[in-house]
Amino acid sequence: MPDPQPVPINAKFGDDFVTQLVVVLDTDTMREVAAKVAHHVVGKRLPARDADMVVRYQGHDLSPDVTVAEAGIVPLQNVYVDWVEKGVTP
Amino acid sequence: MARMKREEWYNIARDVDWTRSYVDEEAVFPEWMSGSGKVPHEAWKSWDEPYKCAYTDYVATQREKEGSVYAVKSALQRSNVFESLDEGWKSTAKAHFGAISLIEYLAVLAEQRMARFGLSPAWRNMAVFGTLDEIRHTQMDLYLAHEFIGRDPQFDWALKAYHTNEWGIIAARALFDGMMLGPDAVDIAIQLPFTLETGFTNLQFVALAANALDSGDISFANMISSTQTDEARHAQQGGPTLEILMQHDPKRAQWTIDKMFWLSARLFSILTGPGMDYYTPLEHRKQSYKEFMEEWIVAEFLRLIEDYGLKKPWYWDEFIAGLDTWHHSLHLGVWFWRPTVWWKPQAGVSKAERAWLQEKYPHWEEQWGPIWDTLIENVNAGNMQGTLPETLPWLCNLCHLPIGTAASPNNPKHPVRSYPLTHNGYTYHFCSKPCRQIWWEDKDTMHQKTVIERLLTGEIQPPDVGGILAWMGLTPEVMGDDAYNYKWAEEYRKPAAAAGS
Repeated sequence: MPDPQPVPINAKFGDDFVTQLVVVLDTDTMREVAAKVAHHVVGKRLPARDADMVVRYQGHDLSPDVTVAEAGIVPLQNVYVDWVEKGVTP
Repeated sequence: MARMKREEWYNIARDVDWTRSYVDEEAVFPEWMSGSGKVPHEAWKSWDEPYKCAYTDYVATQREKEGSVYAVKSALQRSNVFESLDEGWKSTAKAHFGAISLIEYLAVLAEQRMARFGLSPAWRNMAVFGTLDEIRHTQMDLYLAHEFIGRDPQFDWALKAYHTNEWGIIAARALFDGMMLGPDAVDIAIQLPFTLETGFTNLQFVALAANALDSGDISFANMISSTQTDEARHAQQGGPTLEILMQHDPKRAQWTIDKMFWLSARLFSILTGPGMDYYTPLEHRKQSYKEFMEEWIVAEFLRLIEDYGLKKPWYWDEFIAGLDTWHHSLHLGVWFWRPTVWWKPQAGVSKAERAWLQEKYPHWEEQWGPIWDTLIENVNAGNMQGTLPETLPWLCNLCHLPIGTAASPNNPKHPVRSYPLTHNGYTYHFCSKPCRQIWWEDKDTMHQKTVIERLLTGEIQPPDVGGILAWMGLTPEVMGDDAYNYKWAEEYRKPAAAAGS
């Protein structure tokens, strides 16, 4: 099995004021991608919330279990992460 | 021997030209340097500067101005004025010295290009004065900043900044290279004297002079006021050039001004905006950045371009909307990524300052309040790591400023987002539609790699914050930190926490 490959993305979280460079792996699930993007924002510039997160790519909300490779996310693309109320399925 | 009056000889002297017989016109004024384009060479004979100046007058006036600047500096050098200056104001001065000093030198090269390749002898004559002006400005900036290096090493960046890859400097270099170094003489005249010096240097020199005086930095105020008197004269190379260009190629004139106005507005919103609305002590603020822009740039510049028969730039509404948001976003970014700058950003968000911001910008709290509140909580909890970056903001492929800073949170009309463009299989990102459009049209002359691209291609090693800071030339004694050591945050401590602290 090939090593996981880094995928640099241009990511924005919720109501943050900039988009940022975040490097994810092509094997990361959307749950992991959301956590990696949130790491740079939540608790730093935006307060933590008791809510789940959703990853949005090319206008579609992605399932938390799908991987970067499966979602077709390639380097340099925009990825948006936002809060979603607990229990709401993207 | 009686001397002739200036008006009797001036028009002949400044119009001295000759018909070349050994070489053709193109050899002397090659298109790629002169840039006549669709304008026939004959048309340039009507070039007429509104402000007449002979060399003897020039030297006498400049000598007087120089004497005044250096006399004030010399007198204040022996005082303890520096120690009494507000740290926020010092940051404004440091940002100015680093971002402007060597741009004055770049302007020497631009003026020299017009002095050699300008298409009328009167224009070339004016550009010689412009060249001498810009040499003077470079010297003044460097000399004044040099005095303070012994007391504060951040002033060393007056000379050093443009020899580094600091991100703000890359943004400034990208703009000013495209404005002054790359273009031909005609485009330089439209971009530098007309767009930048007629419009935006008012912002940097008039507004800052007032704030400097109020903050007690008389020497700085004196220096930039002296600079502005030169700018006001040599900026007049723009008008006559534009007048002729409008007769023969108005489309080129409109595009060149639109492009450079947008990019200048983007850069000055970081260069001047934070200084006016955050770094200048509250009691010394006369006007907000937006008010100053509306008075000096919006009204004045619009009237000026309409007088020449130009239309409002296509992005005008977006630019106006940006007066409420761009510089707040950039200020927040500079403060959060403060180790990446060579000054000490003053947060400027004490309760009194926030009340002032909210009064001047009615959406300020809604857009910026939640982010500052989170940062303040971290400061007061001693969680400084929570106020510092672990990655970089994505940077615009044209203006090199962070994506999102041409917008604001909670702003449905101009939301925080990227405007991407895939070209030849590569995705570029832009902060706004105008940046994307300008890049698309002029990518052959305006494109430079962003810090993000340099990081991703392995130019920066190790590829982490430490590696990035070292690559930018920021050493520990110079890299920025909060101007007041976070004391302003104390008033936000919750009573229980305050009692326990």
